[in-house]
Amino acid sequence: MSFFDLKGTLKPLTALKQFGKEPHTITYPKVSKEAADRYRGFHYNDLDECIGCGNCSTICQNAAIDMIHLEGIEGGKGDSGLRPRVDHGRCCWCALCVEVCPTGSLSLTKDYLYVSEDPDSFLWTPGKDNPGGKEKISFFSTEETSLNVFQRVPMTEIEGTERIKSFAEVVLGYSEDEARAEASRCISCGLCTEVCPDHMHIPEYINAIANGNDADAVRIIYDNNPLPEMCGKVCTRRCEDVCAIATRGEAIAIRWLKRYATETAKTADIIHEIVNPEIKEANGKTVGIIGAGPSGLTAAYYLALRGYGVTIYEASAKAGGATMYGIPKYRLPLESLQKQVDYIQSIGVKIHFNTKVGKDITFKEIYDHYDAVFMGVGFPDAWSLGVDGENAKGSMQAYRYLYMINSGEKVDVGDKVIVVGGGNVAIDAARVSRRMNAEVTILYRRRVEDMPADWEEIEGAEAEGVHIIPQAIPIKVIEDEKGNVKAVEYLMAEMVPDERGGRPKPVAIEGSNTIIEATAVMAAIGQMGDYSFMSEFEDKIKINRGRFVTNDKQQTTDPKVFAGGDAVNSTADAISAIADGFRACKAIDEMLSKK
Amino acid sequence: MKELKEQLINRIKAHFPDITVENNFNYNRFDVSINKESIHSILFYLKDVMGFKHLSDTNCVDWLEEGEFEIVFIVWSPAEKIKIFVRTRIDRNNPVLETLDMIWPQLHTYEREFREMFGIQFTGLEAPDEFILEDWQGPPPYRRDFDTAAFAAETFFERPGREDAEDVREAITKLTGEEIPEFAKKYSR
Ligand code: SF4
Repeated sequence: MSFFDLKGTLKPLTALKQFGKEPHTITYPKVSKEAADRYRGFHYNDLDECIGCGNCSTICQNAAIDMIHLEGIEGGKGDSGLRPRVDHGRCCWCALCVEVCPTGSLSLTKDYLYVSEDPDSFLWTPGKDNPGGKEKISFFSTEETSLNVFQRVPMTEIEGTERIKSFAEVVLGYSEDEARAEASRCISCGLCTEVCPDHMHIPEYINAIANGNDADAVRIIYDNNPLPEMCGKVCTRRCEDVCAIATRGEAIAIRWLKRYATETAKTADIIHEIVNPEIKEANGKTVGIIGAGPSGLTAAYYLALRGYGVTIYEASAKAGGATMYGIPKYRLPLESLQKQVDYIQSIGVKIHFNTKVGKDITFKEIYDHYDAVFMGVGFPDAWSLGVDGENAKGSMQAYRYLYMINSGEKVDVGDKVIVVGGGNVAIDAARVSRRMNAEVTILYRRRVEDMPADWEEIEGAEAEGVHIIPQAIPIKVIEDEKGNVKAVEYLMAEMVPDERGGRPKPVAIEGSNTIIEATAVMAAIGQMGDYSFMSEFEDKIKINRGRFVTNDKQQTTDPKVFAGGDAVNSTADAISAIADGFRACKAIDEMLSKK
Repeated sequence: MKELKEQLINRIKAHFPDITVENNFNYNRFDVSINKESIHSILFYLKDVMGFKHLSDTNCVDWLEEGEFEIVFIVWSPAEKIKIFVRTRIDRNNPVLETLDMIWPQLHTYEREFREMFGIQFTGLEAPDEFILEDWQGPPPYRRDFDTAAFAAETFFERPGREDAEDVREAITKLTGEEIPEFAKKYSR
C-alpha cells in the first residue's frame, strides 16, 4: 500500500454528485403511494346493486365471506336481503369473489393500509363500513372479464314461415350437451325459488342436470309439481325475471331445462319408474275434486300419494283444463300433456270425464259424499268486447276458439282475422289463425312493450307474420247484409301518463277512426268465472270480485271446501294453480289426519 | 402486423414442422404448441436466432381432466414487437422436464416454483428442495385437486363474531316455506 492513497481520498467525493438531487427521505406527513391500476386492496360493495346471491361467499376458498343481514336491507323479489361481510384477516386478495359476482356490485379498491391492535376489527362489511371505497375502485369485473357465462345457450326452433304450415311443436328442446352447458351457467343462489309461486327446487334440479343426473332432476322436479313437462314448455317463468345472471346477462333458461329433464322420461311408465313414487296405504278418507286443470290434478296427485281416495269431476273429455284447451298444440303437444295425466292416473287418481258439476252431478252430492272438496274450476267464461255488432256471425271469444280447435272441431274464420287483446290468449288465437291460413291482425290498446303476453310469444307471432297494431281501440264490428263480420272500426289511442304513477293509459284520439276488413273478430280481453253450479252454497262459500275467498291454505269460507287456480288467484297462470293445489293438499291432509 | 406474424410463423415452421399454431388474436400475439422433446430447441431458436430475447412470463396450467400440465413461456421480440406464447404439455402422472435455466437464468426461479407448487420435476435443476413453503408435507398446492377450502378450514381458526352468518339458500327457504327433499340437498350450493 502506498503512503498516499489517491483513490481512497477521491472516491468519497463522488458522493457530491448526489448534491442537488431530491432527497430520498420520507415526507411528513407521510403520503402513501398510489397503488397500481387493477390493484387488489380492500373490498367495496355497492349495497344497492348487490342482490345477496352469496356467490362471493361460496367461491371464497378461505371462508372469509359471510352473508349477513344488514339493518335497512329487506330483500324481496330477486334479493335475498343478505350482504357479504369480509374477514380481512383471512382474505388473500385473490379477487375470485369479484370475478364471480354476477351483478358487478363487488370490487376491490386501491386501499391497502389498515392498522389496528384489535385483530377482530378486520371483520367488516364492504360498502357499509367503507362508503368512501366507491371512489377508489380499482379491480372490478365487466361482462367480458367476469367468470360468469352471461350468454344463454340458444334454443333451436322451427323457422317462422315453415311453422305456420302445421301445428308441429315450434321449440325443439335442448340436446343433452346444450342442456348441460346451459345448466352449468347457474350459480345455484336460489333467488328464483322465491318468486316461483310453487317454490320449485330450481337450483337443485338444475345442478342435477349440470352433473349429468337427469333422473335425479326429474325426481326433484316431481317433488312439488306433477305437471312439469307442461311447465317446461309454457310456464310464465317468473323465476327467470329475477335470475342473478340476468342482472348483467341472459337469465338461465330455467324453463327449457325443466323441459329437457322431464322430456327424458318419454312415457308415463318411465316417469313412474324414475319418480318411483312412495304411495301411502289407503287411509279410508276421500277427497272430491272439481276440475281436472292444473290445480285439481296437483291436489289429486299429492293427496293420492298420501293415501287419500281421490276422484276428479271434469266437464270436458280430457284433463288439463286451460292447459289442454287454451294452449295451442304447437306450444304444448297433446301427447306431452296426456303422458303427464296418464302418470297421475297411474298412481290411483280417478277422473270422471264429461261430467259437469251442476248438470251431471250436483255440487251438494259431492259435498256430502267426500271428507273434503277441492275446486279448481277455472275461468270458463270470457269478457265480451262491449261494442256494437259484436254478435255478428264470425265474432267470437278467442278462448272459445282455442277450445274448439283443441277439441278437434272445425271453425271457419275466413282469411282475415282480427284479434283484440295483448295477453297470451290473444297471441295464441292469432298464431293458431295463421296456421288456418288467415291473415291476422292484433289490435291492442297499449304499446307492444305493455303487452302482458310472454315476449317470446310476441316475437314468435311476429315471425309468423302476425301484424300487431298497438294503441288501437275497437269501437264497432261492422256486419254485411247477411249478418257476417265484414270489418272492424277502431280508434287510435295516445298514451297519457297516469297521474297516480301507474302505467300510462291509452286515450282514444277523436277522429282517428280506421276501418279494417275482417272475416272474423276474436275478443281476448280477459276471462271470468261461472259459479252457477254451486248456487245453493252461495252463503257458505264466499265469492269476492269474481273469485273465491280463501285463506293462505286455500280454504274457502266453508272449512270443508278448498279452492285454487284462476278462480282464486289473479295471476292466471298454471304454476300458481299448481302451487294452490299443492298447498291445498297439505292443508286437507292436515285437517283430515286430525279427525 | 398480420403479414409479419405470418412470416414469423413460416420461419418457425420451417424448422419445427410439428408445431400447432394459433393465430386468431387481433393484436401482436400468436401461440405455438410443441412437444416437450423440442421445447429446448425452439426456445433457443426463438431467442438466439429470431430475436425473441425477452422472457416475459412463464406459467403452468393444470389440465386435470386431460391428465396433463401445460407450461407456457411468453417470449417477446423487442425488434418485431411481437409476443409468442410457447406451450408444451407433460404427463400429469409423471411430470418431468429437463431444466431450461441455461436459456434464461431466471427460469431457475420459475422452475423451483413449479416444482414446489405443481410437483413438476426438472432434471438438472440445482437448487435446494424448499422454495417458498416451509415444512410443506401435503400435495403441491397449485394442483387443481388440492382442496384449498379444506386446507384453510383446518389451518385457520374461526374468528369469533361470525356466528350470525346465514346460508342464502336456507334463508330463502325459511322465507317461502319451501321444503327441499333430503335426497336433493346434495345438489344445493
Ligand atoms: S356475489 Fe355480488 S351480488 Fe352476490 S352477494 Fe356477493 S356481492 Fe352481492
